[in-house]
Amino acid sequence: MKKILFPFLILFGAGALAAAQTNAPVAKTNSPPTQITSDTADFDLSAHQAVYRGHVKVVNAEVKLTCAWMLVDLPSAGGHLSNIVAETNVVIDMTDAKGQTYHVTSAKAVYAYKTEGVVTNETVTFTGKPRVETATSTIDSEPMIWDRTRNKFTFIGPNMISRESPGAGATNASPLKLF
Amino acid sequence: MKSVPAHLCLALGAGGILLAAVTARPQTQPLGHATDFTSESYFEAPHERQIKMRLSGAEALPLPGGLLDVRQLRVETFGEDGKPEMVVRAPQCTYAPLDGVANSAGRMEMQSGDGKFRVEGEGFLWRQGASSLTISNRVRTTIDLPVLNATAS
Repeated sequence: MKKILFPFLILFGAGALAAAQTNAPVAKTNSPPTQITSDTADFDLSAHQAVYRGHVKVVNAEVKLTCAWMLVDLPSAGGHLSNIVAETNVVIDMTDAKGQTYHVTSAKAVYAYKTEGVVTNETVTFTGKPRVETATSTIDSEPMIWDRTRNKFTFIGPNMISRESPGAGATNASPLKLF
Repeated sequence: MKSVPAHLCLALGAGGILLAAVTARPQTQPLGHATDFTSESYFEAPHERQIKMRLSGAEALPLPGGLLDVRQLRVETFGEDGKPEMVVRAPQCTYAPLDGVANSAGRMEMQSGDGKFRVEGEGFLWRQGASSLTISNRVRTTIDLPVLNATAS
């Protein structure tokens, strides 16, 4: 399960991860650039922030994200993306290395990257009725928190509907054992 | 110079005669234009020697109301360490020197100092004092930075 949201990190961590000193087993690579399109945008060059509004769409090699509003703290040259907030009808579609597709929806998603000394905290927090849908299951949790540094995915009050056994009917069960 | 706002510098750079003519007779046809102008603003102390913003253009044609029709606008911003932060370019815009506001319905582009963050769009409003830029249509941002491979298990 912890793979489920990994591409989402790629999306939210584009650039933020360039020089990260985390414990996560990750590797840098040169991928096609991430594209963000929107109807309008405001850039505060003093605060180093960008706010995208209207039909916001983020696309890279692995992930597509759409939402109505998105704030990005712009990194300095060679720096990290430290904060991204996507709000209103957040929809993420992604495919992992094995071809498994994931469809994530929530009202809000927040990527946060912070380094204190040698400790790096890197999380994506989904709130507002978050839901992850795969070919075999649907998981609801409020909130969903993905700790990127520890590769740990946390559900609060989760509810999972499994579709792994067609004809057996949907079941509700705690997905915690899977994570 | 260090405390002179960039828009005033531009006004000077664009030609005192030109501005004086525009100011004195705002409803009349302008008398001339400036070419290849540059203006700079500086940080406050203790970085007063560092350029905060450089605004330049290939040509500035006076318009009624004290406005300027600027061609090949280029706005560069710098950090306190002197490193370039952002460059904004537009083939044409209308600039209000006294208000420090530039706008255009045409295309514009912006990129970070290292070129890894690029933005383009149509129609913009640049507020010089606030260092803010609004792009009103068809905004496209390209972030060209390394990302991670999914090697986690």
